[in-house]
Amino acid sequence: MNTIAAKFLKVFLAVVLFGGLYLVAVAKHDERDRIRQTAVELTPDCKAKLEAYGLAAGPVYRSPYLVRVGGEAVEVSGYSEEDVRAIQRGCNIIDDLQGFVAGGEGLGQRWNATRFVRGTHTTCSHCHQNAGDKQDEKGNRIQGSNNLGASWVMADMYDRFTGLILSHELRQMQCYINSSNGFKPNIADDLLRDVTAYSRFIAAALDLKIGNRYLEQGMDEIPASATNRRGDDYVRGAHIYREQCASCHGQQGFGLVQDGRVIYPAVAGRNSFSLDSRMNFAAVNTIMPGFICRNMPPGAEGTLEGQDCRDIAYFLSTLPRPAGDLQGPLYAVWQQLMMIVMPPLTAYADSLRSSSPRPVAH
Amino acid sequence: MPPLRGTFVVGLTLAVVTLPQAIAFSTTLAGLPPHFGIYAAIWGVLFTALLNPSSVFSGGPNTTMSAAIGITLLPIAPQFGADYIGYALTLILLAGLVQMLFVLIRPLGRTLDLINEPIVNGLICGIGVFLICKSLTSFAGLPINTQVEWPLWIAWQSFVAVLEIGNLYAIEIGLVTLITSLVVRQWRPLRNWAILLGVVAGTAYSEYLSATVGIQNTLIEQIANLSYVGFVLPSLPSFSQEAMADIITILPGAVTLALLGLFQTVAAMRRMNRKMGSYTDSRKGILADAVSNCVLPFLSSLPTCASFNRMWLVFSLGGHSRWASAVSALILLLMVLYLAPLIAIIPMPAMAAIIMLLGANMINWEDIKPHFKDRREAVVFMASFLSVLFLDLFGAVIVGSLLAIAYSKWEQAHPNISLSGNVLKIRGNLYYGSLPVIEAMYHRAIAQDDRVVIDFSECFYIDQEGIRWLAAAKAAQHVRLADRRRSDDRRAIERRAAADGKRRTGRRSSKVDRRKRSEF
Repeated sequence: MNTIAAKFLKVFLAVVLFGGLYLVAVAKHDERDRIRQTAVELTPDCKAKLEAYGLAAGPVYRSPYLVRVGGEAVEVSGYSEEDVRAIQRGCNIIDDLQGFVAGGEGLGQRWNATRFVRGTHTTCSHCHQNAGDKQDEKGNRIQGSNNLGASWVMADMYDRFTGLILSHELRQMQCYINSSNGFKPNIADDLLRDVTAYSRFIAAALDLKIGNRYLEQGMDEIPASATNRRGDDYVRGAHIYREQCASCHGQQGFGLVQDGRVIYPAVAGRNSFSLDSRMNFAAVNTIMPGFICRNMPPGAEGTLEGQDCRDIAYFLSTLPRPAGDLQGPLYAVWQQLMMIVMPPLTAYADSLRSSSPRPVAH
Repeated sequence: MPPLRGTFVVGLTLAVVTLPQAIAFSTTLAGLPPHFGIYAAIWGVLFTALLNPSSVFSGGPNTTMSAAIGITLLPIAPQFGADYIGYALTLILLAGLVQMLFVLIRPLGRTLDLINEPIVNGLICGIGVFLICKSLTSFAGLPINTQVEWPLWIAWQSFVAVLEIGNLYAIEIGLVTLITSLVVRQWRPLRNWAILLGVVAGTAYSEYLSATVGIQNTLIEQIANLSYVGFVLPSLPSFSQEAMADIITILPGAVTLALLGLFQTVAAMRRMNRKMGSYTDSRKGILADAVSNCVLPFLSSLPTCASFNRMWLVFSLGGHSRWASAVSALILLLMVLYLAPLIAIIPMPAMAAIIMLLGANMINWEDIKPHFKDRREAVVFMASFLSVLFLDLFGAVIVGSLLAIAYSKWEQAHPNISLSGNVLKIRGNLYYGSLPVIEAMYHRAIAQDDRVVIDFSECFYIDQEGIRWLAAAKAAQHVRLADRRRSDDRRAIERRAAADGKRRTGRRSSKVDRRKRSEF
């Protein structure tokens, strides 16, 4: 009798537990449907960009951009209301992943994106600048500016780093690895779908053709062979960093935060990209130099030489930063320790240098 | 040969119980097409039944080994692809060859006996937790990420994904399967059929959804076409030039796979031997596994090893003959040949629910409870359990093996030493590992008293270093040795020792010890 009661209790508890979880799942799904239906509060950059590209629901889409840069309007099939909202959400994720600009209610529209990145600084537009579509005043796209549309037309192609045929969703997963805190969104997550929708829209607006390689796609990488082979030197890199970069990114590379908003992102420490990232010079030594040379310092892009950029990237790779996912718990703990121990030591060493006579600049 | 009818009933039950497990293991754990599990349940079971003389031994596909294949190969190639299958076959063959080493090198095979219960139970519990976390994504009809979601602190993220973006139809099918199985297994006569009935209920609900909502809306993944499955499906492991770099990276995985199989086979045989009061040499089980796993990759099959739950099933049904397993393999072959269209509509979420249930079954409090009564056992159990959760499987197996050796050595290295008056009494082993402990006490004794008697009458084992130490101690004028096992009195021993020299004393005492041991 007692055992039968115990069995009933066991089954009852299991049913209550699973039923409760099912109800939670249903509630979460309803919330997601509701978010999908509500109008999107765009960030200023996204608003300007999407208006300039004439994003609206309709049977056909003609990009105003093509006419503006002196080409012919191309007619492609249009977007539904739901598509438009997905594209808008995608733009918000790219431009303002942490929700600094359009925060509050709009945060739910980012599908908890901050859950998947480490620290409080990371936003897609740190690398994919101007909401993933960087242009000069005349509307010319810039070589090596990580254009998302140009990236989308390269989807489902061979990726030389992973050796896989990467879909755009899997390619985005690579981005999450760069500043991962251990877990990545599921490949079916709306987070990836919305960014894909936005990237695809950029490709349509710029009339980029599928399967083509455009110069604005990716970083314009700088291999050692593209320099005059003086050799990479992090001491020189540290010097250039202090002269050119430290005023914004800080002496220790911790970035600049004002009123809870990131003005300049961290390039070292907790809020920075991880050791596994392709931005880490020690992992891939061509990408970070390429990014620096094409995009830094803002307003004076292109003033640094290839070797300078390699030196700076080398120096950055020596600063303490979080371990990547693949390096295991021991490495992660070690890096955490280094991020606590090294900054005061570096600050102390810097204070010694500033009190001694300045070396003659070369 | 036992009564034909009884054997048939046991075989039929075994076949019906194994089928859903076999499919679930290959599709949700190993990332291989369903026929891999089915062939393992046919050929793996048949080979081990023929090669292993144990009367209740039942081989076939195994949860842990399937999971190990999935974990090892996930970063290497996309699952279910041609490359992946090639690598999987290579991995299984390598594991079979590693197992063959355990047959050929006798001491290596003997080391498996050092794996004690807390370690095996720790591994099993850890893998149970892992299986539950691992099947969360397929439970909710979500794709598996390419990154291995192995550590526990990442798995909760999959759980959140299930709640937020899971396919609700998939979740419903999974829950129907889970709850049906849970309810059915409470009733003892149907206990062994719980999994099958759960799958039937899940499939029925999935068919209902397909009829009302439409499969184009539910987007439920199914086992799909099995019509290509025939009597045998030959396959070749890939050893091509371009695969070599990847094959080298999966070598630790092959060792893990081999060890996980052997651990379970040896532990299961040991447990069943004691349960049945009979004895079958576990070496024969190792041989059966090794030979099977060297042949199975050429037959499109998962690797085989002992299955605790199926052996328990055979035992409880009274199948005291290995013909039952062989018959089950043949029945399964017939079922697959004629029931393929029915198997094809089984939904994947139901398979995932089955894996979760098996994972939960692996965490059995009744098995674990005794380990917490002894502190040393508790430490070993927890270390083994946690290393599965915080390291990868290879790390866990290595930690488990090292722990096993450390455990046994620690036992031996702490003989019971007592000092009463000037008599130093040693009970236990006198060998290089225990000498430091003994020497510490010895030096305390000679500091207290200038005449010391070392009584090693209750030493069971003395190695060469121990003999040399005893001889050196004897050389000191104020120390006398005592061995009360001899019929002569202690003085006679000493006289002889003085006359015969140092080596002789040692040899005598070790001879005594050998004679003593043979009495037990």
